[in-house]
Amino acid sequence: MARASTTSDVFNAVAEPHRREILDALIAGEKAVGAIVHDLALSQPQVSKHLRVLGEVGLVRCRIDGRRRLYRLEPTRLRPFHEWLSKYERAWKDRLDRMDDYVRELKQQGGRL
Amino acid sequence: MTPSGHGPTVIELPNDRDVVISREFEAPIALVFDVLTNPEHVSKWFAGPGEEMKECSIDLRVGGSYHFVFLTSDRREMSFRGTYLEVDPPTRTVETWLFEGRPHGDAIESQDLHESQGVTTLTVKLVFSEAAGRPTRFEGMQESFARIDDVVRSLLQQGGVSLGR
Repeated sequence: MARASTTSDVFNAVAEPHRREILDALIAGEKAVGAIVHDLALSQPQVSKHLRVLGEVGLVRCRIDGRRRLYRLEPTRLRPFHEWLSKYERAWKDRLDRMDDYVRELKQQGGRL
Repeated sequence: MTPSGHGPTVIELPNDRDVVISREFEAPIALVFDVLTNPEHVSKWFAGPGEEMKECSIDLRVGGSYHFVFLTSDRREMSFRGTYLEVDPPTRTVETWLFEGRPHGDAIESQDLHESQGVTTLTVKLVFSEAAGRPTRFEGMQESFARIDDVVRSLLQQGGVSLGR
């Protein structure tokens, strides 16, 4: 039975620097293993191993085109990280916006310095 | 400037331990520094709508401490405290930063201010004591995800790539 993919699987998958490089390489679009090997100066077995890990957590999808296996990014799986980042950014932005509004108020009152 | 009239807040995660936030204010540096470090001012903007500031104390000198406590809209208490390591008005403070109740949630925070042509730039840098301390919901995640934010942002900037539902 397939192991259920969890959030931490995704984060563990992207924690490895070479796998992040592979994700970077796939941002431009679908690529064959050979093209990724060429882009990253990694060996084919290394790239295949990383692609397998990324595929297991659903971050990349593979399709067969004749004799080639083409890999593409599956960005929806990055949502948990994106959501965390958005929430964190939102909290900072809101707080600094409030500070900004308050600074403007003080400026209008003549600074109160 | 955004339609709200606010300048952008820029957040960067340059590596697996640091968070860097920067923001511009159209105000003199002395005023921004005061708003950032005087508890009378901080208590006016630190908590958001629906939140309630319960404590806001700042002893702004090297070795002095600060303590901010606010209640969230669902009545959870959030407490931040620390001790000043450097105080250099109006350009810089460095302090320890502890988000209480969060394992490994301690960092060294620096707040740097720079004024140019009437605009003051605030840069807040948090250096967490270990990567896991970065305020992530994914506790237990030990390894670095330093560059994943770049990946996410690149994806979002690609036309047609949607994070979907």
